[in-house]
Amino acid sequence: MKKEMYDYGFALLLTLVGLYALTNFYSYMDQYEVAILVGSVAGFSYMGIQWNRFKYFFIASFTLAFLSIFLYQGDLGQSESNFFLKYILSSQSAIMWMTALFPLALLIYWFYLFVKQEFYGSLATFMVWAASIFATAGLLIRWFESYLVDLDVGHIPVSNLYEVFVLFCLIASLIYLFYEEKLQTKKLGPFVLIVINAAVGFLLWYTLAKNADVIQPLVPALQSYWMKIHVPANFIGYGAFAVAAMVSVAYLLTGNGFWNRYLPPKEILDEMTYRLIAIGFIFFTIATILGAVWAAEAWGGYWSWDPKETWALIVWLNYAAWLHLRLIKGLRGDILAWWSIGGLLITTFCFLGVNLFLSGLHSYGEL
Amino acid sequence: MSSMRFAISMLSVVGLASIIGTVLQQNQPYESYIINFGQFWFELFEMLSLYNVYQATWFLLILFFLVASTSLCVSRNTPQVIKDIRRFQENIREESLKRNKYVSEISIKNFKKSDLVSLLKDMQFKVREKKINGEDDLIVAKKGDFQKLGYIFTHMAIIIISVGGLMDGNLVFKFKEAVGIKKIEMVDKPISEIAKKSWLETSNFSYRANMLLVEGESQDVGVIPVKDGYLIQDLPFSVALKDFKIEHYASGQPKSFESDLIVKNKKNGKVLNKKISVNKPLTVDGVTIYQSDFQDGGSKLNLNLIDLYSAEKPLAMKAAVFKHNILIVDEQKLNFEFEDFRLFNILDIGLEESKKPTNVGPNFRHKIRDVTGQAREYETYQHPMVIDGRYFFMSGMRNTPQEDYRYLRIPADAERSLEGFMVFKNLIRDRKKVTKATVEIARKSSEIKEVSRNLANNFQAIFDNFVSGGYNNIALNIDENVPDEKQEQVAGTYLKIIHLIADRLIVDFQNNNSTSTLFNFDDVSVFTQDALNGYSDSFFYGSNFWIELKDFEHIQASGLQLTKSPGQFWVYLGSIMLVLGIFCMIYIQEARLWIVRKKGSKKVILAFASNREHLEFEKFVLDTKAKIKKFYLN
Repeated sequence: MKKEMYDYGFALLLTLVGLYALTNFYSYMDQYEVAILVGSVAGFSYMGIQWNRFKYFFIASFTLAFLSIFLYQGDLGQSESNFFLKYILSSQSAIMWMTALFPLALLIYWFYLFVKQEFYGSLATFMVWAASIFATAGLLIRWFESYLVDLDVGHIPVSNLYEVFVLFCLIASLIYLFYEEKLQTKKLGPFVLIVINAAVGFLLWYTLAKNADVIQPLVPALQSYWMKIHVPANFIGYGAFAVAAMVSVAYLLTGNGFWNRYLPPKEILDEMTYRLIAIGFIFFTIATILGAVWAAEAWGGYWSWDPKETWALIVWLNYAAWLHLRLIKGLRGDILAWWSIGGLLITTFCFLGVNLFLSGLHSYGEL
Repeated sequence: MSSMRFAISMLSVVGLASIIGTVLQQNQPYESYIINFGQFWFELFEMLSLYNVYQATWFLLILFFLVASTSLCVSRNTPQVIKDIRRFQENIREESLKRNKYVSEISIKNFKKSDLVSLLKDMQFKVREKKINGEDDLIVAKKGDFQKLGYIFTHMAIIIISVGGLMDGNLVFKFKEAVGIKKIEMVDKPISEIAKKSWLETSNFSYRANMLLVEGESQDVGVIPVKDGYLIQDLPFSVALKDFKIEHYASGQPKSFESDLIVKNKKNGKVLNKKISVNKPLTVDGVTIYQSDFQDGGSKLNLNLIDLYSAEKPLAMKAAVFKHNILIVDEQKLNFEFEDFRLFNILDIGLEESKKPTNVGPNFRHKIRDVTGQAREYETYQHPMVIDGRYFFMSGMRNTPQEDYRYLRIPADAERSLEGFMVFKNLIRDRKKVTKATVEIARKSSEIKEVSRNLANNFQAIFDNFVSGGYNNIALNIDENVPDEKQEQVAGTYLKIIHLIADRLIVDFQNNNSTSTLFNFDDVSVFTQDALNGYSDSFFYGSNFWIELKDFEHIQASGLQLTKSPGQFWVYLGSIMLVLGIFCMIYIQEARLWIVRKKGSKKVILAFASNREHLEFEKFVLDTKAKIKKFYLN
């Protein structure tokens, strides 16, 4: 009974925030953006109801973001002069906190794996939650900051490599946290955090060496409500595939007597890989289709064999084959685990390599 | 052909071909492939159609086989799937049930059959009851049949998407080209001269054509690039461009491209007036018009050709982008080909310390082609740019399109104009003034007349040497006449002398023209040095003329794309089916349950089965058993 109260309360809170946004900014939105807002309120309420901790995560992230907005007082210059903004609550600082917490979580997870004291496991989990909160708050604040740069520059922060890397870290860690709770094991943290930290490493290099964290206005092709749907959907796919590959690494290690003492049983790992790839596949399929619909609106055709599109197709075919083998042929075992690790390489090339090495219509994040 | 192995090997080939298509840039001009690969590989790759893999006959054939194979597969398996969905497996034998992995017994007081059936129905099972051996009860329950429909959905979806895609491909044209009805035009020529064989009629089923439309003009055909040639696509309407507008962000980056169009139907004369922009296309008569890009539409340029090596008045030239101007220089015919004009240029050059993208103003590009056909390319900016805190006029030159531009930097005078440099280059070529300056400088160096005259002569020679060929000339001279160990020292002295003389010339000029503010610098010698450098570099510029852009009339052209895509509907329909199908396959738990109760027995036997017996299913079995146990406890 008590939980239900919280559920309704959360949904009500989100509805109120949504209504606030709608009444204040209605004149800036088109009908699709209104629909996306309504859909987000419904979707996040549902997630909060299904997953209790998501509520706290969500409220914490938004509280930080609102606090930051309050501190800014409509002046971007505050990020230099206000102490809290400068060190914690400007988007760059919040994201820096994220990049500090993820490596810490990785270390503690490994410590936990070998020491087997619950305290360290909980501490690591807490670190990942904290990093996710900073990532979400950072993105939300960046969204707000982009409007402070100029009203016509403002846009959702999923438009370049810097922003989507933060999004990737966030989504991968949320996916991991969900399964950590569901399967009641923290023993996969050490592995999943590796891929997240690889992304963090890239993000740091990209920020420091290339000044990639500067907010840039959108090129005309990206000025569309589709961006709000297409990019996040894609990154749920990428995130799930990445986490799946790390679980597969753990799966392959369990064959060894040494690792057997520390890792969950093979069946659980196998099941988890399957579920991750399944959810990733659905989102990736939807994202690719939505991308095609957007392309038909922006580039004059739903499919142009642009390198990004083509590689998305290859990623899709790869995981379609994986699922096919598992579901139709009933295949299990090491082959699928290796395949899922190989899948991460293909996914990484699609996500990053295409931007680095190939030129095409999707040239939004070159080095 | 309907085997899985066949499908997978075909899919692998499609995957590989797609990868080649992403690595090898598609649909580039064929010359650039020849330059990159050499003649041999170019021809081999062309034979394999690697420059347009996705339109290659073999690629389309593989796609076709995939569709055929999938269709066969679906048509063969669908009846079985439907039968499975309908079937209840009620003729199963007791022994085989007991061998089941998920079999268990529950003790009961009484059977309560009809209540049990409604419980199962509440749990979303479809239920059928039966008597076996004439007296025992059997209940067959099952759920999640749609999981099997997922198989049909996904495979049908792939067929529908592929068919939609093929509808929008160029199969029809390929056929017509193969039998000789149609032919790709390879030569650039006016539309009126293009043979009917290279025209596609308005009735053409599907196409993606381009149109470059100049402001104020109208067109009623599109151009479809094919391989290294093109086709003309007749349209059901004409399109006129009233106005093309680019908006910019405060930082200078483009914010929106917008074309104001008038679309007029050819048959009924109906007129539609509408603005389109990126992400906001317009659909008329089944054809969708997109804003894709823009370029110059033949801007008019008023130019001044300034001869760097003579004091003559600049030559005025009226030019236009895409037009050629011929000029006779030293009895040599030079063809000035103007290629592009840009009103805005965003460079990362930035003013002073802030290195932000900055708009540096208009520039134009042109080629100068001599009688042998050799051409150099130039790119010239109208306004001076800030480099190291000083203002320079910039013009880049390159000998081939593969090179980067090398920039000639001409310093702006104190009024930020070119005038100061023009005065400067006239001064240094003025024998009288140079002689006067050298004599004065020499006199300061030595009181002795003989010595100072000698010095003056030397100075003059050094300066003449510079004027006729820049620092390069001086270097050659030193190389020839000065021993190695002294070269550096001598070079330093020479440079100092040249600078002294040039400075002197400017000071003299200022003294004679006291009203001129051209050289009102804090330190004019910085300008002198920049001017000397610029003059010296001009010998590598490849042209005697600095071209100054006096003013211009900006005429733009909007790049439109015109798409007729009847396959789109089918692709979208297939996509929806695909998503539904995947959902069914992954998230619907298929399960069957048999409940047997021997007549009068105090036990029921439960047996579960599924086509996917993984962890999730085990949980489902436990849940269901618990519910049934609870039912019997009450």
